[in-house]
Amino acid sequence: MARRIPPTDVLITLMGSPNEDDRTTTALRLAQALLERGASVQIWTCGNATLLTQRGLTDDKPRNLASWNSAYPTTAALAQRMLKAFPDQLYWYGCRFCSDDRGAVDHLPEVVMRPPAGYAANVAAATRNLMVGVI
Amino acid sequence: MSDQDRVEKPALGIMERGYRGAVEKQFFDAFYLAAELHRHPGGLDLLLRGQAATHAVRARPTPSLRLGDTELDTVTDSRVNLRNLIEAGVRVWVEESALAAFGFAAPLDDVLMDGIRVAADGELALRWPEYRAVYFL
Repeated sequence: MARRIPPTDVLITLMGSPNEDDRTTTALRLAQALLERGASVQIWTCGNATLLTQRGLTDDKPRNLASWNSAYPTTAALAQRMLKAFPDQLYWYGCRFCSDDRGAVDHLPEVVMRPPAGYAANVAAATRNLMVGVI
Repeated sequence: MSDQDRVEKPALGIMERGYRGAVEKQFFDAFYLAAELHRHPGGLDLLLRGQAATHAVRARPTPSLRLGDTELDTVTDSRVNLRNLIEAGVRVWVEESALAAFGFAAPLDDVLMDGIRVAADGELALRWPEYRAVYFL
């Protein structure tokens, strides 16, 4: 039986690669702003953006040699904190094909991996769709 | 030229793109690599061109970012990173035409961060033979 996708006000499809430009930052800022205003949001990652929520990233980035005692949260930690802060408003999905294709097979338990053919159901479940970047 | 002369020449780093992942990179960016390259024999000169030229322009500190309940105050601040490089002894140039493309024209004293030199188009390219290596960062 097909998974039921909870309806949301906005779907943010993040296809742009992390570490290439500031699209990931923009997408997360936008999601946070929408959530703080009470909107419901689903994030769908494709391509290299599926790498954002790997558990292997752990909570903190590797140490900064120039600032040894500073802590820098990973994108996985930040995604988890966002999901925890907005439990009934934010959903995070990932494209299983893109993820498997990159060897990223161990995601946060809160992240729902979906087949590419399932994307249409996510689009249909959102009132507005915003695509950020391309694969 | 002896081997000793060769290793003491500086390398030239050329940075053309900026803003490559504030949340993902935080500190681990092209400036971080430049700091490492500057530790090599001869040190590093750095040329900012294209979009990266804007890193040399004075601006307010990068604001923190709120994600979930986290106040993320460690997002990339390119000017802090550039300032650290200059203080470490990296000589930094910015290409004049790149600044002009973003609307910054002479006089540039009040526009650029302290310690930044302005280069004419091609000025550093003519000097490539003087460098031990050229890195596109």
